[in-house]
Amino acid sequence: MTTQQLRPIVSVFPIKGKVKTIKQVPLPSVFSAPIRPDVVRFVHTNMAKNNRQAHAVSTTAGEQTSATSWGTGRAVARIPRVKGSGTGRSGQAAFGNMCRGGRMYAPKKVWRKWHRKINTNQKRYAVCSAIAATAVTPLVMSRGHRVNKLPELPLVVSDQLQSLTKTRQAVKFLKFIGAYRDVEKVIRTKKTRVGQGKYRNRRHVLRKGPMVVYARNLGIKKAFRNIPGVETASVYTLNLLKLAPGSQMGRFIIWTESAFKLLEDIYGSWEKPSKFKSGFYLPRPVMVNTDVERIIKSDQVQTVLRNRRPRSRKYGKKIQRADPYEDMSVMVKLNPYYKTKLQKQKELEEKNKKERKEIVDKSRKEYEDWLYFSEEEEEEEEEEEEEGSDEDREIEVLSDEN
Amino acid sequence: MSKQVPETIKKQKKRSFNSKEVKQEKNEKRTKLLKEIQEKAYKRAEKYEKEYLEQDQKLKELKQKALKEGSFYREPEPKLAFIIRIRGIVGVPPKPRKILQLLRLRRIYSGVFIRLNKSSLRMLHFIDPYVTWGYPDVETVRALIYKRGHARVNHQRKIIDSNEMIYDKLQKYDIVCMEDLVHEIFTVGKNFKHANSFLWAFKLKPPVGGFSTVKKSFVNKGEHGNREQYINTLVKKMI
Repeated sequence: MTTQQLRPIVSVFPIKGKVKTIKQVPLPSVFSAPIRPDVVRFVHTNMAKNNRQAHAVSTTAGEQTSATSWGTGRAVARIPRVKGSGTGRSGQAAFGNMCRGGRMYAPKKVWRKWHRKINTNQKRYAVCSAIAATAVTPLVMSRGHRVNKLPELPLVVSDQLQSLTKTRQAVKFLKFIGAYRDVEKVIRTKKTRVGQGKYRNRRHVLRKGPMVVYARNLGIKKAFRNIPGVETASVYTLNLLKLAPGSQMGRFIIWTESAFKLLEDIYGSWEKPSKFKSGFYLPRPVMVNTDVERIIKSDQVQTVLRNRRPRSRKYGKKIQRADPYEDMSVMVKLNPYYKTKLQKQKELEEKNKKERKEIVDKSRKEYEDWLYFSEEEEEEEEEEEEEGSDEDREIEVLSDEN
Repeated sequence: MSKQVPETIKKQKKRSFNSKEVKQEKNEKRTKLLKEIQEKAYKRAEKYEKEYLEQDQKLKELKQKALKEGSFYREPEPKLAFIIRIRGIVGVPPKPRKILQLLRLRRIYSGVFIRLNKSSLRMLHFIDPYVTWGYPDVETVRALIYKRGHARVNHQRKIIDSNEMIYDKLQKYDIVCMEDLVHEIFTVGKNFKHANSFLWAFKLKPPVGGFSTVKKSFVNKGEHGNREQYINTLVKKMI
């Protein structure tokens, strides 16, 4: 919210001589009012309805017959038909909106709501917006005004303008200040109206040229009256329909110095109310600083932001992984002790194997030893038995011979 | 003509949370942390191997001792069970359906670890016809977690890629690596609940060689219900 203690300066130009600054005045607060095209559009569309004149269709139109339906059974539509005979009109359909010469559907009535009430504050909001827009060169240009040659926008001119009486003087002034190009445009583009307005006393269509806003009418009104496209207005009674014609903001306005200064009093500021509109303060914008990008990039905001969430790569993508029981590298990553474990197991196995082998070898050897020794004993026994029997037999043979 | 860098961009670069220096610092920290984790993992794995061996030995000794004295050694009742759902979705009555949901057994051949206590045993009783369960040994628990272990991370099912994943989630329960996780599950430690909920329900394959008949209980030459230590052979066929 700008407190407007340091307001920008606007130059005041003379009405003849040389185009140079003769004075400087501060910019009234109105020109910093929020520019709200939506509000202006709403107010304008409703305000524009307020100068309408009632019109309607005659109440009796299409009803001035005594037609009755023929009913069914006559091979004709059941629409009411004109009674009687002897004329072409008899038997013709009547009354219906579809019938020739019948009453229209929903005949227009004068008691249609022609005018619209608009909240006073809304109206004032729209006017403030529209005035603010007249200082914005791109808006004025986009509205179609030829403002290239102007020394400044908003264009403020000395109060001597208010005392002009002759049209010639007025035109000279416009040419001097560079505003005549806009008037030339208006003259150039004067056309016959399209449509039936042309024979309803609205034959020609003109563009809107510059608007001259004055504080006191000392002849200015008449001076500018006949210049095509140019409108004059008192600063006390600025009309939205003129400030934003067609609800398009950015009318080219030429202010007189006193009118310009009066704007501060008429519309007030955010601190001081208007002197003329009781209790009215300038509308407050929703955002004071609309440069959002700059706000976000400012130090004050950036230092308080939290860290940008990291693109957690670890949990982002679907991770493929080999079977740890088949791929040793995966296993070791998960269990770094695994290799050592395998080693130990291997060692243990080998140890066990060795021990077992020793035991087996030992027992085998024992068995073989036992087997060997038992064979020897048997042989010895057999030999002893054989020797004994031979001796006995020899003795018996000797005894028989005697 | 030298290019003028706008001040806002200069400031932005200096301030940037993703600037080179900050990234470098982060990376250094991370690599250091990873190294620490792997060291811990090594030491703990070693410790646990010893522990498991000792436990086995102890059990053997106690049994032998009892035998010598002519009495029995009553082993401690199993604390851990592994449940596998062996029946599909269709036609499950509401109570077993709810219990299966609570146990995270939402599809056929899904498996979960569960701590055995009076309440959980009663739950198992209700869902007996739809599951088979038993007491897994260390190697089964290991195989499940290593081969088919997926973590629940950010409401997503992510395969356990590294110990860092486990560290991030379970560091506060002093579970820092795979072996820690296995140990916590197998011995049903203080933080079993957190270790178990860290794991997504295991999605197993249908068993190699098939089932005999799921309609009968294991005791009756079927497949469902408690099959105590034979769960280990089944898991080997399904893993």
